[in-house]
Amino acid sequence: MRKVAIVGIGHGKFGVRSDASLRELVFEAVKGCLDDSGLSLREVDSMVTGVAGDEFSFGIQPSAQVHDYIGFHPKPNFRVEAACATGSAALRTGWMTITSGLADIVLVVGVEKMTEVPTSTATEIMGRAGDATWEYPFGTTFPGYYAMIANAHMAEYGTTEEQLARVAVKNHYYGSLNPYAQMQKEITLEKAVTSFTVAYPLKLYDCSLITDGAAAILLASEEKAKSISKKPVWVAGLGCGTDAMRLGDRKSLTSLEATREAAKIAYKMAGVGPSDIDVATVHDCFTIAEVVAYEDLGFCEKGEGGKLIEAKETYVGGRIPVNVDGGLKSKGHPLGATGVSMAIEITKQLRGEADQRQVKNAEIGLTHNVGGSGQVSFIHIFRRQ
Amino acid sequence: MEFKNFSLFISQTKVNRFADDLAGGKIMSTLCKKCGKQYYPPQADCPSCMGSDMEWKEIKTEGKLLTFTKIHVPPEHFAVRQPLMPFSSIQFEPCPIGILEVEKGLPVMGWIPKMDVKRIKVGMKMKASPFTLPDGKITIVLEVV
Ligand SMILES: CC(C)(COP(=O)(O)OP(=O)(O)OC[C@H]1O[C@@H](n2cnc3c(N)ncnc32)[C@H](O)[C@@H]1OP(=O)(O)O)[C@@H](O)C(=O)NCCC(=O)NCCS
Ligand SMILES: [Zn+2]
Repeated sequence: MRKVAIVGIGHGKFGVRSDASLRELVFEAVKGCLDDSGLSLREVDSMVTGVAGDEFSFGIQPSAQVHDYIGFHPKPNFRVEAACATGSAALRTGWMTITSGLADIVLVVGVEKMTEVPTSTATEIMGRAGDATWEYPFGTTFPGYYAMIANAHMAEYGTTEEQLARVAVKNHYYGSLNPYAQMQKEITLEKAVTSFTVAYPLKLYDCSLITDGAAAILLASEEKAKSISKKPVWVAGLGCGTDAMRLGDRKSLTSLEATREAAKIAYKMAGVGPSDIDVATVHDCFTIAEVVAYEDLGFCEKGEGGKLIEAKETYVGGRIPVNVDGGLKSKGHPLGATGVSMAIEITKQLRGEADQRQVKNAEIGLTHNVGGSGQVSFIHIFRRQ
Repeated sequence: MEFKNFSLFISQTKVNRFADDLAGGKIMSTLCKKCGKQYYPPQADCPSCMGSDMEWKEIKTEGKLLTFTKIHVPPEHFAVRQPLMPFSSIQFEPCPIGILEVEKGLPVMGWIPKMDVKRIKVGMKMKASPFTLPDGKITIVLEVV
């Protein structure tokens, strides 16, 4: 199989970007990505665009808005979608395009423009990522699904609201050090545990943000990568797993089988295990999701996720630094962009360009990106060489 | 009975009868005639044996609560459109929901109208029943037995 590397990264500012439209957000990210790689779009063979919701962008073909605006036509571009894991699905598609031999250099774009609609509409759109026939009639929302996971986890393992809040405190701390983050603001434990309830027991600070933003990376085949970049970051393993649509039909309510399956495949392909990972970005759409991810990815034993954050083992300097870019919690979660943004953070870490957030000598990094309430999960493992 | 009276948005399905039975006081599942697998929510097709010859069967209604929540930031439909959140006064006050396991592999989602969320516990014994709302919509409620 052909080897594939990340040879360029571009990250727009995440936030309430009332100054820019979907296509304009993409332009910023693509421009940054080309500058970073030293390539021009003429040298790029193919493109993949990740956008999760048409309902945010009022169009059924957001990918065309994007390739039109950056002038990429007539070369290949189409949209991929996997709810909140859309960005990782796009990266995987880009990787397949190169390994299949269809292209040598592929631009992977992820974007979402979520604040064009009010929160109640966004909540409704996202809530339908559950089962629109059998769950939605009970007023389910995204925070609602993860709240049900949280209550099950608390009942089974004694995980506490305070432990969950500690995830928010960590991620806000790192967000404060990330210039691209939506909320560059530290918070106290007190503030997190006393914030208003969104879906019991999850409170405001347990939730990720509603975000506008775009991110872009360039993938290249081995031969091209070596000539384009002095510090290519290699895609060493990819895993994808799925699970039942409805929470009630899952084997477990306290872990995501989709993640466990994806992790097994990705670790095997990369020839590494959880203890080899130097730095990870995991899907903290809600604080409980980060705790469950620690367990599902094998960073700790099942049920020990709350203790792992309590012991600060997921800070830089700890056993396994997680979401030291601020995570979805404070960097923001523009659905389609998130998976690409995660890969960018790992690329920076492995290149040694993460400034104050740098994990010393990071060699191997992992991204974990979940679609919906756990219906699909993508894991990518990257290596410096 | 229109299926939408239960589902709110989805109107076309092969298991339309579910809504009729619910209005008639019964929570129904489907059972595959060929391999015997039971489905709740009901399915018209059986992925276990790829058959589509199903019969209807009433489910047991008592079981233990798998999990629950109370959603304070509701989707638009429940916040600003009719009907308002079921079991709430005009002033918006959300109602907890939960998932009840009535038999292994048969999870029933429902509203928990009569309880303070802090008193709801995973593992509680509860009973699921059909419920007709004032606006004619039909749904399911869970109550402590
Ligand atoms: C929690 C949530 C409902 C809050 O939205 P909202 O009520 O519209 O909040 P507003 O935009 O009115 O913001 C109110 C304040 O809270 C802040 N805020 C909003 N969401 C926040 C969050 N998740 N965490 C921390 N602060 C938040 C805002 O910055 C604002 O602060 P300010 O008053 O100092 O400017 C919303 O952020 C949400 O739904 N998050 C989850 C997103 C989701 O489900 N994503 C998919 C997951 S896979
Ligand atoms: Zn069958």
